[in-house]
Amino acid sequence: MPRVGTNMDFFTAMEVSASGLSAQRARMNVASSNLANAQTTQTAGGGPYKRKDVVLQSTDVPGTEGELGGAVKGVEVASIKQDAAPPRLEYDPGHPQANAQGYVAYPNVNPVEEMVDMITASRAYEAGITTMSTAVSMAEKALGIGK
Amino acid sequence: MANEFSTVDKLQAAMTFHRERHAVLAGNVANVDTPGYRPFDLNPTTTDDPGVLAVTEPGHIGGTSAGQAYTKEFSDEGQLQTPDGNHVQLERELAKIDANRARYSTSAELVSRRLALLRYAAGDGT
Repeated sequence: MPRVGTNMDFFTAMEVSASGLSAQRARMNVASSNLANAQTTQTAGGGPYKRKDVVLQSTDVPGTEGELGGAVKGVEVASIKQDAAPPRLEYDPGHPQANAQGYVAYPNVNPVEEMVDMITASRAYEAGITTMSTAVSMAEKALGIGK
Repeated sequence: MANEFSTVDKLQAAMTFHRERHAVLAGNVANVDTPGYRPFDLNPTTTDDPGVLAVTEPGHIGGTSAGQAYTKEFSDEGQLQTPDGNHVQLERELAKIDANRARYSTSAELVSRRLALLRYAAGDGT
């Protein structure tokens, strides 16, 4: 009887959902950090703040190695990379960070893009919650057998 | 070999299938933003065994005395993909999860009823 994993139970499904939830929370954190720093012209590394992006990758879940192993995939944050797009230049000669030509380098953050990211992250988070509560309701149904 | 509990055994195999399928579908939802991810699904298959339930539709789960056998496959045929190569359609996965939960609940309910029936038969009929 081929099984996905020998040690697979409802907690596996909940673990997988939880990995999705933390990945979406990471996206949310990065999006709000980008929004908060949309006007930051000076950072510790010098220059304006650079937009950050979360890179996700799927992972194998322990306990699901079986004949059909690899069908159950969790997710994790592989890295948080910087957006290589150039900074936005604005003419403001009176600004303390203005260059010789009078231009100030502002972060390459587009607030609209960040809002869209936040909405998709929040929707994906909700989907993860639904998946997890489905696992819980299925487990409860099984516990009700024989009552 | 059919006995009083063979129904329960078959239903138990079905419940195991739906529980594991739920974990697979949960993985698809978790990877809704993973670049290049292709969603998986589990498909039930049956062995030819006389005296077991016939599989006349793709969604059917055939009863076998040995239990449930199933195959893993990509479930993204003909689906659109996003520019990053992700093939997950959230609505589709959530619909599958809900249908899977309903099937699981049905099996659980049937086990309950079957056991209640056995209890009634084994008791003094009250």
